Amino acid sequence: MWNEIKRLFVRRITSREEAKGRLHLVLAHDRSGLDGGKLQDLRTEIAQVLAKYVEIDVNSIEIEIERLNRTQTQLVVSSPLRAR
Amino acid sequence: MGRAIVITSGKGGVGKTTTTANLGTSLARLGKNVVVIDADIGLRNLDVVMGLENRIVYHVVDVLQGKCTPQKALIKDRRIDNLFLLAASQTDDKEAVTPEQMRDLIEQLKAAFDYVVIDCPAGIEQGFRNAIAGADEAIVVATPEVASIRDADRVVGLLSAKGISARLIVNRVAPEMVRRGDMLSQDDVIEILSLELLGAVPLDGDIVVSTNKGSPATLDSRSPAAKAFDKIARRIDGGTAEDDERIGFFARIGRALGLSPA
Repeated sequence: MWNEIKRLFVRRITSREEAKGRLHLVLAHDRSGLDGGKLQDLRTEIAQVLAKYVEIDVNSIEIEIERLNRTQTQLVVSSPLRAR
Repeated sequence: MGRAIVITSGKGGVGKTTTTANLGTSLARLGKNVVVIDADIGLRNLDVVMGLENRIVYHVVDVLQGKCTPQKALIKDRRIDNLFLLAASQTDDKEAVTPEQMRDLIEQLKAAFDYVVIDCPAGIEQGFRNAIAGADEAIVVATPEVASIRDADRVVGLLSAKGISARLIVNRVAPEMVRRGDMLSQDDVIEILSLELLGAVPLDGDIVVSTNKGSPATLDSRSPAAKAFDKIARRIDGGTAEDDERIGFFARIGRALGLSPA
């Protein structure tokens, strides 16, 4: 009874939603064909290229693989420029 | 010329063999000539699930090695017309067979049968490559669980690289758990995998019982899972995919009397 009442007022994230979110992330990575090691190499090489043109903090580069829609995933590289 | 359909999943234990046995039986009951092939060389199971284990003499490896003709190795299911089993070998390993041999065998069988349904082993190695070699299309079986869905996605990628299109069966759905938010729904699975759905099969204890007995549920049962498999078989065969549960009692009478459209 108490659980039923609580459910009415507390918006909890269900395990169903959690599974869905985790799967989207995992499949985006799987589909990219980039495993952990390759992703690290990519990050290092991108940092080296960027450093030739702009001033960046090599350690602040982030790479994410995201699901764009049902069939496409995208690679997002973000790199804050160092303040002058 | 018949159609060769491989039943695959990547992950083991999600219901490939049960699906093969039930769809094979359903399609035969629709009047089609059907052969089901156990491509799980070394770990044969389709024979026990179908209750034909005592009648196996020759198996697929015998056929591929030229020890007997395909006709001789086919076991006729006596409970139903037009249904045959080609069993796997229990003693050989996957390397005893090549994809080319499988492709040739399935081509031969397609000339004699409307449907060649291939039960693929788990995994994505040699056994998988053999099982999909002769297939025109694939049915990917997934349960609403993260490990199964992840593996299904991988398998779909490998199939598409070979030019084989895949449709989806979501197996062992528990509607009550979905409603509570404790299980992924069939729509969630479709959205994640971006596949066309052939059907969802509910979690159903009758499948355990029918497997115990070696009598596929679609042979005689009207349990929820058997109905779902029947519906999927009709959809595969291109018939109407309407849900006969939703056709009411009066509509049935009306139909029988010719008062409402069939």
